[in-house]
Amino acid sequence: MGTVETKEEVTFKLNGIDVTVPKGTTVMAAAKREKVAIPHFCWHPGLSVAGVCRFCMVKVKGRPKLEISCNLEATPGMEVDTVSDEVKDSHKWALEFHLANHPLDCPICDQAGECGLQKYYMSVGKYNSQMTEEKVLKPKALDVGDKLVLDTERCILCSRCVRFENEVTKTGGLGIFDRGDRAIIGTYGDEKITHNYQENLVDICPVGAFTSKEFRFKQRVWFLKEKSSICPGCSTGCAVSIHAKPEMETYFRVKPRYDKKVNGHWMCDKGREILSGLDKKERLENSYLQDQDEFSTCERPDMINHLNSLLSRFRGKKISLLVSAQYTNEEYERLFSFFVEKMGVRSIFQWRSKEEKLNDFDGILLRGDRNPNTRGLLDALRKFHILKEVENEFEACLTSSSDLIFAFSPLLSSSFSSFEEDLARLSKLKSCVCLFTTSYQARDYIGFNSLIPLVSFPEKTGHYTNYKGEKRELEGAYPSFIHEGFDVCELVNELDSNIKASLRA
Amino acid sequence: MMIFSEALKEKIRSYLERYETKRSAILPVLHEIQKEFTYIDDEHILTLEKDFGLNRVHVREVVTFYSAYLTEKPKKFRILFCDSVSCHIEGTQKVMAKIEDFMSSYKKKEKELPFSLEGVPCLGVCGGAPAMFVNEDRYLNVSCDNVEAILKKYDH
Amino acid sequence: MAEHKILTEFEGIKDSRSLKTYLKHGGYQALAKAFQKKPEEIVALVKESGLRGRGGAGFPTGLKWSFIPAHIKERYLLCNNDEGEPGTFKDRYILELSPHMLIEGMIISAFAIGAHKAYIYTRCEFYEEIKWMNEAIDEAYKAGYLGKNILGSGFDFDLDHYIGAGAYICGEETGLISSLEGKKGQPKVKPPFPAVAGYLGKPTIVNNTETLAVVPWIVNHGASAYKAIGTEKSAGTKLFCISGPVKKPGVYEVPLGYPLKDFIEKEAGGLRDGVELKGVIPGGLSAPVLLPEEVEKVTLDYESMASFKSMLGSGAIIVIPKTQCMVELLKVTLDFYHHESCGQCTPCREGTGWLANIMKTVMQAKAKEDCYDKMYEVASHMEGRTICALSDAAAMPTKAIITKFKSELLNYLRRG
Repeated sequence: MGTVETKEEVTFKLNGIDVTVPKGTTVMAAAKREKVAIPHFCWHPGLSVAGVCRFCMVKVKGRPKLEISCNLEATPGMEVDTVSDEVKDSHKWALEFHLANHPLDCPICDQAGECGLQKYYMSVGKYNSQMTEEKVLKPKALDVGDKLVLDTERCILCSRCVRFENEVTKTGGLGIFDRGDRAIIGTYGDEKITHNYQENLVDICPVGAFTSKEFRFKQRVWFLKEKSSICPGCSTGCAVSIHAKPEMETYFRVKPRYDKKVNGHWMCDKGREILSGLDKKERLENSYLQDQDEFSTCERPDMINHLNSLLSRFRGKKISLLVSAQYTNEEYERLFSFFVEKMGVRSIFQWRSKEEKLNDFDGILLRGDRNPNTRGLLDALRKFHILKEVENEFEACLTSSSDLIFAFSPLLSSSFSSFEEDLARLSKLKSCVCLFTTSYQARDYIGFNSLIPLVSFPEKTGHYTNYKGEKRELEGAYPSFIHEGFDVCELVNELDSNIKASLRA
Repeated sequence: MMIFSEALKEKIRSYLERYETKRSAILPVLHEIQKEFTYIDDEHILTLEKDFGLNRVHVREVVTFYSAYLTEKPKKFRILFCDSVSCHIEGTQKVMAKIEDFMSSYKKKEKELPFSLEGVPCLGVCGGAPAMFVNEDRYLNVSCDNVEAILKKYDH
Repeated sequence: MAEHKILTEFEGIKDSRSLKTYLKHGGYQALAKAFQKKPEEIVALVKESGLRGRGGAGFPTGLKWSFIPAHIKERYLLCNNDEGEPGTFKDRYILELSPHMLIEGMIISAFAIGAHKAYIYTRCEFYEEIKWMNEAIDEAYKAGYLGKNILGSGFDFDLDHYIGAGAYICGEETGLISSLEGKKGQPKVKPPFPAVAGYLGKPTIVNNTETLAVVPWIVNHGASAYKAIGTEKSAGTKLFCISGPVKKPGVYEVPLGYPLKDFIEKEAGGLRDGVELKGVIPGGLSAPVLLPEEVEKVTLDYESMASFKSMLGSGAIIVIPKTQCMVELLKVTLDFYHHESCGQCTPCREGTGWLANIMKTVMQAKAKEDCYDKMYEVASHMEGRTICALSDAAAMPTKAIITKFKSELLNYLRRG
């Protein structure tokens, strides 16, 4: 791993400029920090040093040979050069060697556009290939896991995936068999990789050897936008980026972002499924009011008015909130400041999955609490002097004899195995139940008084607080595909101002 | 299911205890398996994992990396002829051609060929170039004149 | 060269491999002497003797030993007996003559570096030699030279014999370590060097068989006696093995600095009748070929070989007759490295295959005349770019053959 934490520092020269780094830092890690690009394939900051691609060559003044920077510890006074002709020539040739037996099938390769070979050809290559001899042929399009397709011919044998399997998941599912230019990456026989971290292999593969079954051939990556977010799939709250094509109103994939304290470089495959409920066709697109056992759509202002009139109608009666732990700190704050402080609501129930195993942990990232913000919810409640432990209070809500329930449903129904069952039971209550949700499934349960469509996590700003108290921001960068969707904070603001107006009146 | 003999299992167990780590036993254990079965197949590797705790991927990496391990049943007599530089200078090509002639005579007689011929890297006996092995028997100064007589000893 | 029979002392002696014979000739007396000294005194002695690694790189042995970090007590000594460099068959000769000399050398060396466990790593094709070595180890255990409290010294030492499985790369010291760990024989990225973190991450010294076998003599006769033999920078004797069309191919021990020409003429009996010299590969296949005029002048030591841009290497002298086609020789050379590259480092994995592939096109008369320039360039970019020296070992002879025999190579193409 690139950086070792110590207090001692060393100063060395990188292309003539003094750079100070903690003792033990490699030249590669230091250069990365300084935004000096040193081409590399096998080095990955989350894995051990392999030193096999021989791409990251640099020159240390006074030493005879070029050296790989990924295994070169910066020492005081060392003068490192990454840009001389000699170094550049070594980079060019390292690339030529990597491409010697590469099939150059970019037009049909899903990695195109984010391939290390392509990227480096443009930055350090641009030579006329001298390789005119026959190439070594190897097996292609192998099914090696639920999520994975492997092309061993494109593989540059950097061993990142092997090290990931050995060091991160400790599943040891991959090996490099045979030797020399016959060396070939693979699982044992035709075994499949089955763990929950397969897509990381796609992420760390610097070429198109591992591609994602889910994403393959769906979209050329250069058409995708990429925005930072937080995975709402469990209480770890991995930093992710969400790749989407806004003009198609489609989310395509989730990739992990580096967050040292939360998820390091990785995320799990469950976390990649968070997009599944975000397709437009699975979303509740409009506001619905129930009228004589039928839902009919209404405009946003009508829904606000409707909710306001309900609040007026039920003033003095028992109003309850049923809230899942999938909203942001800001949403909780806004909800409770209105309902608890202003409306005097004290009856708040946590809506959690019936089958959750709260203390489960896979030893890597995935936690049994499949909500991103359990901690944020409890913290917000505490702020309003409601002290709670983590508990599923759905049953309690059902039997609470509430007159009006504002139910804020889970936004990821995938993490709620009992979601539909819960909806069915909730919709049959005698109480007046308004369901705030993103799921189109809600329309099947006619007993709700009203259905309020919400925007989902890639489309809103705010923070989650993860299981150990790390607060992380959702940048909410995508405009919602659900044009009629409400942002919880804005919605409550409107209710609030209407209430004020009605009080004044 | 191919089952290891008790004697082989005993040998494997002793190798597993012999070194600082179990993994070091992989090479000697594979030598023993090959001695018993003449080659190493998937069943052997999976048995090593199941019964002896040696990781199948690690074992397969070793089996495929080293030339000495065979993954298919070899002919009864393997001729390994050195085709590195000293032996080459001393006539490897001619003698290998002679061996091939000899082997093709089996085809003419429609007899089953008990030999296979492979060129192999330096055998470390270049003072007696050209050198060859027939299974574990080493022959030095092999020539077009004496090679047939050597091979005929094996198939009589 | 009868005056310096250090490693070949047992030549011509009956039953030379037995412990009885070894003891009769003063065997294991150096061990008794060594136990009278402190370990660091033996390290100093070996440093002083000027002994350099006989495996090929010629690194000063005592210096290598002194790199072991003092604070780590679990240490290993490994004997590199994987003799795989084409043309080399000299370590085998030590096993044939006197495996106890190696065992004694290993006990002393282990004592010097503070290792209590050692392995001899031998290539698997040495079926007979493996047996000889195992017998000698058994004898040494029975006689108390191995095991607990050797000769009452309080020093415990175990020696085991590990057999390879057919991979040239295991002759590289960290490839050997990987192999001994039960892995693919892939060299390890350095630093750390094995003296700091080798076998199982513990300080490990890997020495060649010949290097270790000479240690008892140095202990018996002193550093200055050893240093008195050979040249200033290349002390002592060395085993050289000569193959090719000479009258007496074989292994001969001569002092370093001995003229190559004399070696061929006097030791090996000269070229066979009617053979004309085309060149000599002086230090195993990786060593750049020397032309006859260079053979006239060069001496068998590290400096002289370097001055002719070749190397002493493992001491494998391969004589090339005039009739040998250099295109074929280059192809044989490159097929070897292509076959043996471990595949780990990209320039070597791809480069060895690429070079071998170009030679295939040459043989098939499909190559263009600039193919040798291309090969030269590819080879140049394989040098000094990889974890171990296999890539260099493929590049050096390629460049030398292309440079020295260019017109013959071109003629081959033109002939079609």
